[in-house]
Amino acid sequence: MKFRCERDALVEQLSTASRAVSSRGGALPVLTGIHLKAHKETLTMTGSDLEITVRASVAVDVKESGEAVLPSRIVVDIIRSLDSGAVEVEVSGEEAKISGGRSQFSVRTLPVDDFPALSDPSGDQVTVATADLAAGLKQVVRAASGDDARPILTGVLMSAEDGGLRLVATDSYRLAVRDLPEATVLSEGQKVLVPSRALDELSRVLGDSEEVNVRLGEREVSFDVSIEDGAVQVTTRLIEGEFPNYRQLIPSSYPNQLTIGREPLLEAVRRVKLMARDTTPLRITQKSDSVELMAVTQDVGQAHEEVDAQYSGDELTVAFNPDYLIQGLEAAPGDEVILETLDALKPAVLRSSEGGDFLYLLMPVRVS
Amino acid sequence: MEDLPILHVDMDAFYVEVERQSNPSLIGKPVVVGGDSQRGVVASASYEARAMGVKSAMSSVVARRLCSDAVFVKSDFPRYREVSRRVHQIFQAVTPEIEPIALDEAFLDVGGARKLFGSSEEIAWQLRSDIYEGVGLDCSVGVASSKLLAKLASVAAKPQITSRGIQPGVGVYVVDSENQKTFLEAHPVEALWGVGAVTLRKLRSLGISTVKDLAAVPEQVLVEALGASHGGHLWKLSRGVDVSRVNSERQRKSISHEETFPSDVYDRKALESEIVRLSDAVSSRARTQGTAGRTIHLKVRRPDMSFVTRSITVDEPVDTLPEIAEKATELLAQLDIGQGVRLLGVGLSRLDETGPRQLSLVQDDKRDQSWSRLSGAMDRIRERYGHSAIGPGLPINPSENNDS
Repeated sequence: MKFRCERDALVEQLSTASRAVSSRGGALPVLTGIHLKAHKETLTMTGSDLEITVRASVAVDVKESGEAVLPSRIVVDIIRSLDSGAVEVEVSGEEAKISGGRSQFSVRTLPVDDFPALSDPSGDQVTVATADLAAGLKQVVRAASGDDARPILTGVLMSAEDGGLRLVATDSYRLAVRDLPEATVLSEGQKVLVPSRALDELSRVLGDSEEVNVRLGEREVSFDVSIEDGAVQVTTRLIEGEFPNYRQLIPSSYPNQLTIGREPLLEAVRRVKLMARDTTPLRITQKSDSVELMAVTQDVGQAHEEVDAQYSGDELTVAFNPDYLIQGLEAAPGDEVILETLDALKPAVLRSSEGGDFLYLLMPVRVS
Repeated sequence: MEDLPILHVDMDAFYVEVERQSNPSLIGKPVVVGGDSQRGVVASASYEARAMGVKSAMSSVVARRLCSDAVFVKSDFPRYREVSRRVHQIFQAVTPEIEPIALDEAFLDVGGARKLFGSSEEIAWQLRSDIYEGVGLDCSVGVASSKLLAKLASVAAKPQITSRGIQPGVGVYVVDSENQKTFLEAHPVEALWGVGAVTLRKLRSLGISTVKDLAAVPEQVLVEALGASHGGHLWKLSRGVDVSRVNSERQRKSISHEETFPSDVYDRKALESEIVRLSDAVSSRARTQGTAGRTIHLKVRRPDMSFVTRSITVDEPVDTLPEIAEKATELLAQLDIGQGVRLLGVGLSRLDETGPRQLSLVQDDKRDQSWSRLSGAMDRIRERYGHSAIGPGLPINPSENNDS
């Protein structure tokens, strides 16, 4: 295998594919490598940890077709360290030669035959507009859990809802729901649980693309994105299991309703958060025409700020994890948000005052 | 005034009496707390049941045979723990020098409290009535110069089962220099700490069955029969010499266990196994004391004797093995162990603090619940068969395979 290309064109796609490479390899050491395939005028780079596979391709000048697996970390570091300009990679036997400018590296390859065959999902291809999906992912993916001990919650639920697509994620402390009415990806009644890590990767590569092609199989789903000079495919296994019944978590009505400017509240929360150290929460006291934010950390200090707002309901103090509140406020669209509360121990709902397709459910912190 | 600083407080038929508080129909009846299934074990028996021969740790089947009228009640350890915590708060009002032994017993050193509260005996009576007022339960208190004597004294203060029925105990029993020798020597040797089945057999073969017999034997005979340390220790005990102190440090500050390795350890896996073992010891002690902590500590001593400690604070107090081990392992992952590890320690502090708690939308605490049930089962097995009877499966003996 031998090919030549621009360092700048290669480095980004190589990094993208390498993010799916498993750091340890586990039972399959070859998975610490990145699979390269040069064919016709295209270099396809594949990284996989068997859960998530990212395949990135870029146009290169192929001198000699072939395949090889190179140690991912070191190759990414090498390409990244080179100056802009032409890079040449040549693999012969168990050695890969990488040269750019006046630098030359030779790297031991990994056995290419050991690299697992990674199949594509068999389902039909559906096309979704990137802009919608990108916005939805940005709002929802962060609410998923990062705790592998609770695999179901590390996923984002994608379900068919009124002819559109609904994205739901929760780490059990907050829950984000976003409807994409225009996106018909699933057939009515269908739902799948997609690892949030894969969707996070997908968000990173969506970039300026126009549309995403989704292919859903029995056990996996793939997303194909065309970008300038190439393409990226993210394939992931689906998570098996039943997502919590989130509908029953959303109370139907709230006695207390706060309407407040999104940006002013966000800024105030970020400031007051500075004094919410360790596990201390941020307390919000809602009054008729304002809210008071307060954080007190023993032996450190306290912060206090008042923000104008409209409030209907009884005076109520609720405490939240400031990070969860910030993420909800960042995700909510529009200039004004509504925070609805029941009491200090029940879930609160955050949404845009313009209504819309986004809802954020937030569980308070109980303070003794 | 004579120096009798040690109190041993032992609740009377603790589990049974707690159950009677919530179910008064049990009062006056023989009651057995524990499982009533084929394989259940008696955790505690009322004096009425004890009069029929029922004893703690006996199988429920035998207990039922001995006392067919007995009412069997399933044990409710979370509640016993809660009551125990309230009793400990009453202790705290008198002295911080408390060494909890189990949910229903503790040693107190009131040496420093006597200026404020009167003599040890007066403090004992006061505690007894404070506990009755506070939680509505009776206890027996032994007062003496040492832990061994105080423990034996509290037994003497207990209600007695006689041929005429159950006689109320004296409540407080004081062992002072006047009665110490007679009191101690009247006990069988197995009443002394460290006399188990093996030692008992050896002593019997020497014709020793009471503490009086033991005290009459020259130290050298015991040393030859039982070894220098054990023999010498028993000989001292037989004369009422017990220098062990009320170890209250763990109650006041933290609970910790540490291990010094026979040779420096470089293998992370071996250290992780050791963390599991130490976390087991820490969590088990926390539960025995009816406490839980929010800060988990890891201590590492390097071969050059330098120390590193790391800690992490969680939202909710923890007292189970996986909760402590998981955090301690996370802390270990942050440390460079390239130089090797000579000593490893795991600790728990900020005991009994309930901090702010992030509430959950989804009630999926199944894992935690199963662990607290499992932990309870482990505690009961250990109560009966000793600490080594059960343990986590992972580290059989990690310190033995460090050579690699």
